[in-house]
Amino acid sequence: MNSKTPVVIKRILIINSLLALLLLGTMFLGLSMGSTGGSMGDVWRSLKGEEGGGAMLNDIIWKIRFPRVILAALVGAALSVGGLVFQALLRNPLAEPYILGISGGAAIGAISGILMGLAPFPGVSLSAFCGSTATLVLILILSSGQAVMVKDALLLSGVMVNAFCTAVIMFLISMTQDSRLHTIMFWLMGDLSSVDLHQAGILALMLAPCFLVIFRLSNTMNLLLLGSDLAQTMGINVKVVILTLLVVTSFMVSATVSHCGLIGFVGLVIPHLLRLIFGPDHRILLPACILGGGAYMVICDLLARVLPAQGEMSAGVITAMIGAPLFIILLKRSGR
Amino acid sequence: MNNLYRNSRLTTGLLIALSILALPTFVVAEGRTVRDQLGRVVSIPLTPQRIIALAPSITEIIFALDQAHRLKGVTQYSDYPEAASILPKVGSYVHLDVEKIVALQPDLCIAVKDGNPLTVIHRLESLDIPVYAVDPRNLAAVMDTVTEIGAVLGSQDRAEEIVADMRRRIETVRTTVAKARRIPGVFFQIGIAPIVAVGTHTFIHELIVMAGGRNLTEGPLPYPRLSKEQVIGLAPDVFIITSMERGGVFDKVKAEWKRWPDMPAVKNDRIVLADSNLLDRASPRLVNGLELLARLIHPELFEAESKRGTP
Amino acid sequence: MKTAIEINALHFSYRNTPILRDLSFSVLAGEFFIVIGPNGSGKTTLMKVIAGIAGRTSGSVKIQGRKMGSYGRKAFARKIAYVPQMTTLDFPFTVMELVLMGRSPYLGIFGVEGREDRETATRALAFAGIEHLSHRRFNRLSGGECQRVFIARAICQNPEIMLLDEPTASLDMAHQVRIMDVMERLKKEKGITVMMVSHDLNLAAMYGDRLLLLKGGVVARMGEPQAVLTADVLKAAYGCDLLLDRNPMGPYPRVTPIPGRHRV
Repeated sequence: MNSKTPVVIKRILIINSLLALLLLGTMFLGLSMGSTGGSMGDVWRSLKGEEGGGAMLNDIIWKIRFPRVILAALVGAALSVGGLVFQALLRNPLAEPYILGISGGAAIGAISGILMGLAPFPGVSLSAFCGSTATLVLILILSSGQAVMVKDALLLSGVMVNAFCTAVIMFLISMTQDSRLHTIMFWLMGDLSSVDLHQAGILALMLAPCFLVIFRLSNTMNLLLLGSDLAQTMGINVKVVILTLLVVTSFMVSATVSHCGLIGFVGLVIPHLLRLIFGPDHRILLPACILGGGAYMVICDLLARVLPAQGEMSAGVITAMIGAPLFIILLKRSGR
Repeated sequence: MNNLYRNSRLTTGLLIALSILALPTFVVAEGRTVRDQLGRVVSIPLTPQRIIALAPSITEIIFALDQAHRLKGVTQYSDYPEAASILPKVGSYVHLDVEKIVALQPDLCIAVKDGNPLTVIHRLESLDIPVYAVDPRNLAAVMDTVTEIGAVLGSQDRAEEIVADMRRRIETVRTTVAKARRIPGVFFQIGIAPIVAVGTHTFIHELIVMAGGRNLTEGPLPYPRLSKEQVIGLAPDVFIITSMERGGVFDKVKAEWKRWPDMPAVKNDRIVLADSNLLDRASPRLVNGLELLARLIHPELFEAESKRGTP
Repeated sequence: MKTAIEINALHFSYRNTPILRDLSFSVLAGEFFIVIGPNGSGKTTLMKVIAGIAGRTSGSVKIQGRKMGSYGRKAFARKIAYVPQMTTLDFPFTVMELVLMGRSPYLGIFGVEGREDRETATRALAFAGIEHLSHRRFNRLSGGECQRVFIARAICQNPEIMLLDEPTASLDMAHQVRIMDVMERLKKEKGITVMMVSHDLNLAAMYGDRLLLLKGGVVARMGEPQAVLTADVLKAAYGCDLLLDRNPMGPYPRVTPIPGRHRV
C-alpha cells in the first residue's frame, strides 16, 4: 500500500481485514463448540492436520459443524447485504427484507414448492424467488410514488405484506396433512442444521455473483441516497440500477430463505451497527456486511446450538430477540 | 523447517491412505447386508453393539427384545420403560441432533420412515453410519417390525415370543368383541383446541375397529380438524379423549362436552380418558392399547374381569 | 457569444396537465441567468428538464449546441451539475464524502476516487467557503451549511453549466448573500454558466445578468433586470401591488411589496 493507493481502497482493506479476522475467530469458535462439547485445542490440532481428539471428533468438526458454520456465514452475509441494499434503495435505514415481508414471500414460494414436491434445487429456490419477487412488486405498488420517502408508509405496507404472508403460510400449512409439516414448521423459524457441505457450496455459488454485482454498484448506491434525481444528474442510469439491485437482492434473499427459512432482523442489525462504526459509504459497508454479517450469524447459530439444555432452538429466535428491540429503539430515535 | 513440514504432510497423507484402505475391509469383514422396510440395501454389522433408536417406539421394541444394553442413545419423550429415560438423548425424532448421534459412535441407527426427516438419514449415511429404516403403519406391520429388528439384533427367539403373545391377545379381544350386539360409534379426540380427531390411516382407527367400535371420523385425512358443531352432529356413543395434554385438562374438556346432554355419550356417561402412548406408538404395547379400547367401547363384555388390572 | 443552453418550442405535461408550453429561449455561455416567477409557474420543472431528469418532453433542448439526447450519461454529467431544493439525508455521510460524490462521472467502474479527485473536492470545499466543515457529519449541519455542501458537491463535478433550484430559500440573509457570491465568483473566475431559480427578486436584480419571468409555463418577459422588473410586468405576473425604485447599492431595480393591498 503506497501513498498513491486511494484512501477508500486503504479503508476497505484495513476495515475488512479486521472483520475477516473477526469472522475467522467466530468460525473457529463455531467449530469448537457444539452439543457434544469439545475444546478449542482439539479444533486447532485438527486444523493443523493432526489427529487430535480422534477420528470421531474430526468427523464432528468437519462433517457436521463445518458445513453449518459455512452456511451460517453465508446466510448472515446475504441477509446483511440484503438489508443494506434495501436501505439504500428506499433511503430508509429501517428497511430490511424480513420486515418488508420479502422473506415471507420467499417462504410462501418455498413452501408451495416443497408441497408440490419440487427438488430443493433448483425447484424450491425458483419458487422462492417467484414468491419474493411477487411481494417485492406488491410493496413497491403499495408504497409507490412520493410515499416511498415516507417511513411510515413503507413500514406500514411492509407490516401488512408481512401479515398477509404469515396468513398465507398458515393457510398452506393447515391445508396440508403432511408428514413433512414438522420439518417445514421448524425450517420456517430459521433452521441451519440440515445442510451439508454440498448445499452450502450451491448457496455460495449463487451468492458470489450477487455480491460482485452489488459491489460494482456500491458507489452508485451512495449516490442513490441523495435521491434518484441527483443520482441521475451524476450520470447514473437510475432505473436500470434500481431494477438490477432489486432483482439481485430478491434472488439473494430467496436463495437464503429456501436454504434456511425465515431469519429476521439480521439485515437491520448488521448494516446499522457497521454504519455507526465505519460511516455510510457503501463501498466499505458492502464487504463489511459480508464479513460482519457472517460473523454475527455464526455467533447467533452457536448460541442457538449451545444455549438450550436439550436439543437446540432456531437461530431465527436469537436474531429476532436481538433485532426486534433494536428496531424499536431505531424507530423511536428516527421519529425525533 | 521445510523438511519437517513436508514430513508431517507425508505422514498425514499416509494415514489418510491407510484409513481409506482399511475402512471398507473392516466393514466387509464384520458386516452383512440386509434389506430394510423401505427396500433399501443396508450394510450393517453382524452383531451391532452401539445402537441408537431414532423414535420412542423403536426404543420400546429394543427394550421388549431385552437388548437395552446395546442401546446407546434414544430420542426425547422415550419414557417407556422408565429405564429408557436415563439414556443419552439425541434430540426429538423430528429434529435429530446429528452431532450427538455421531459423538455416540453408533454402529447402527434404527429410523422410522414416518417422522425422521429424510435429509438427516442421508446425512448419517454420508457419515458412514448405517441406518436401518422401518415403516410400521398398522398392527400387522408392527409385528413384522418386531420380528425384523429381532433378526437385525440377533434375538429372533425373543421376537417370536413377543409376536406370539401379541397374536394371542389380539385373538382374545377379537373373539370377545364378536359377541357384542351392536357396534358403537366412537369419537376419538386427540387435540383439544382445535378439536382434532383421527382418520382412517392411523393406528387408533385400526384399534377402534378391532376393538368392536366404529370410528366416526374415518376419512383420507389422517388427523382431521373438526368444529364443535360437527362433533355434536356425529352423535358419538363413546367419547375418548387422550391424555396428550396434562393435568386437569381432561376434566375441563369433559365438562365442556357435558353441556350437550342429548349426545349419546353424555347420556350414558361414556366420556373417557385414554393414555395416548399406548395408542399411537408402533410398539408391542399397542396390544395393551387395543385391550384398553375394547374395555372402553364394550365395558359390558369385560365386566367379569374389570376388577383385574386396567392399565 | 456562444449559447450554453438553447431551448426551442419546449412542451412538458405532467399527467395531461401542461406545465411548460411552447417555451423558447437561450442562456448564453458564462452568463448568470435567473428564472423568477410565481409559485406553480413551472420553474422547477424547467430546471429538471434541462438537468435531464424530467422525463418525456417535446421540443428541443440543446446544450452547447448539441442535442441533449446525443450526450452519453457521464459526458452529460460532466457538462451540467444540478443543485436541487433542500435535500434530506438520513445517512451520516461526512461533508467530504458527500462532496466527493461529485466526482462520480469521472470514476472507473468500481467508483473509487483517487488523490486528484480528493484535491478537486478540497478545492471545491474551499471555493464554497466550508473547508472547516470537511469532517463534520452532514446530518448535523444547519440548513445554510447543508445547501453550501450541495453547492460544493456540484462544483466538484467540474461542470460548465450549473443549475440551482432556489438555493437560497429559507436561509438567513448572510447565507443568501454568501451563496450568491459563490455563484458570482464561479461565473467570473471559472467562466461557468449559472442558471438559477430564485424567489428573491432583489437578489435576482443585483446578481442576474438576465432574468426570465415564467408565468403559467410561458415566458412572460425576459431580459436585463431593468427590463423585466417593472411595476406593470410584475403586477400582471404576481397579481399584487408593489413599489419599484432604485436600489441604493447601485443601478438595480428594487422591489417592495405593499402590505394590505392584495385582494384575497
